[in-house]
Amino acid sequence: MRAGLLAAVAVASLAVGSAAQAQRLAGVRPDLASDEGGLWSVSDKAEIGARQSAELDRDPALNAYVRDVACKVARDHCADIRVYVMDRPFFNASMAPNGYTEVWSGTLLRAADEAQLAFILGHEISHFDRNHSLTSWRRRKSTANAMMVLSAGVAVVGVAAASSAHTYDGASSIMDATRGLIDVVYLAGMASLFGFDRANELEADRLGLGRAAQAGYRPAAATEIWRAQMDETQASDFKRVRNSGARTNIFASHPVDAERIQALQADLKALPDAGAPGRARHRTAIRPHLAAWLRDDLRRRDFGQTLHLIDRLARDGEDLGVLNFYRGEAYRQRRGDGDLALAREAYLAAAAYSDAPVAVWRELGDLRRKEGDPAGAKAAYDNYLTKAPAAEDAWIVQDSLNSLTSGK
Amino acid sequence: MRFVTRPLAAALVALALAGCATVTAAPAGRFQAGAGQEVTLGRMWSDITPIMINRGKKVRVLSIDGPLLNALYVGSGLVPGDNIVRSYVKERPTPLMRAGMSASERLEFVSDSVAAMGYQRVELVRPRAALLGGAPGVRFDLNASTSEGLGIKGTGVVAEVSGKLYLTVYLAPAEHYFQASLPEVESILASARITG
Repeated sequence: MRAGLLAAVAVASLAVGSAAQAQRLAGVRPDLASDEGGLWSVSDKAEIGARQSAELDRDPALNAYVRDVACKVARDHCADIRVYVMDRPFFNASMAPNGYTEVWSGTLLRAADEAQLAFILGHEISHFDRNHSLTSWRRRKSTANAMMVLSAGVAVVGVAAASSAHTYDGASSIMDATRGLIDVVYLAGMASLFGFDRANELEADRLGLGRAAQAGYRPAAATEIWRAQMDETQASDFKRVRNSGARTNIFASHPVDAERIQALQADLKALPDAGAPGRARHRTAIRPHLAAWLRDDLRRRDFGQTLHLIDRLARDGEDLGVLNFYRGEAYRQRRGDGDLALAREAYLAAAAYSDAPVAVWRELGDLRRKEGDPAGAKAAYDNYLTKAPAAEDAWIVQDSLNSLTSGK
Repeated sequence: MRFVTRPLAAALVALALAGCATVTAAPAGRFQAGAGQEVTLGRMWSDITPIMINRGKKVRVLSIDGPLLNALYVGSGLVPGDNIVRSYVKERPTPLMRAGMSASERLEFVSDSVAAMGYQRVELVRPRAALLGGAPGVRFDLNASTSEGLGIKGTGVVAEVSGKLYLTVYLAPAEHYFQASLPEVESILASARITG
């Protein structure tokens, strides 16, 4: 009884944090003339862009799930936040000062359960609740001004180049090219806005943990998701990525490191090792999107990271047809030494499960053919045509099959 | 920031160079699309190749109203290691042509390259047998979006001849622009002649 009371006090203290930090009042919009009001206006415009974006995932069930988890950890701020799931294959969640929140598919794919997602959202809501964007903005105002100057400079270069073009078409093309460049500058500017300092990140970790625990989620999820990010970073094909350290989102200027995890572990000691992981609910929510999101992840072409991610997703023995198929796709596309044999193994493993995409047979056929195994290729192509006779590319597979038979 | 500043620096250099580059007229008639492929244009296009900084080195780009409104990518004689879209950052590689690609892999190479141009939800549809300059290839259509949500339609053809890849991809907004230039694009596709 006494232990339970102490744990409840610990959770409450983590959720409240230090009294010295300014806390946002629920449902209050700042004066438009203030710098905070300005930040809200910028965020409002970004939110309009998010609503129109082609990357917005409109699956009602998925959105309801993410919104529900966000509300559980946001508590009083539930009505202040609007969550948008974006189909982007990177680990990122961010909450703008006006409460507009993006959760990217790369995050949903990497959170092993609802508790890990709750911690990530709790972390972002803590940045929001403590107005870290505002303090960050005031601190970095000079940087932001520099970014505006750079944007203007790029526009000038574009106008100058356009004026030297010989045709209207040429001029508009150059302006198009310039516009793309300004987007890059804008992204850099956003990074300066959302690049919280280390103290802010530590505080958001601590408060996020408290919020998730108070909502009834398993506290250990906090360190698990950061560790998983560190491990995936080390699995990258690229030395530069491995050396850069894991990031909690694409704008983060400080990597997740051992010190940050130690700080969370110290907080964990005060909390009961209990709570719901919500693994099944999370998997049910993301399952319909697994194939599309893995295909997006492959387009990043960091196959080491994709393979690491698939290993994590396969740990509980679910969705093995889909996961093994995309494991095979990663090996096939990487084409390193021995990768085609690994791709074949993965495709064969996938084919044993009912959720395997039918394309597994086409890929197996192509691989067998490359390996000089016409009988194996024929069997695989036959299987594909039996299972997907109306597929748009059935004629390509039939063509491959015919050329095997004719020996061409 | 590091991953942002490196491409930014590369883009600034490329833009500075583009300031010196000239968009040239591509009048109606025969157009040499790089080494190894020739097409016939039915009207005046602009050869915007010099300012399309991300294109692969064996890709020419033509447009009528600017690359966001219509762009015709013509790739000629790509060999293993070549790409349609160039990568400026090692950690963000773009799809490469590989030796011994299957027909499915050639289509994947095209659709992943279009995605690498920055288009979203790229989907290649209706693959069908076609000839490119007399060589057997695959014709396809394509659906995509810009990141701002503008619907994009595309069509094209890809063929491998003696280990080299030849392709044409036409992209334009689904609203008005795609259909407006489609008859011209169809006749360009039909006119292709492989000379390499």
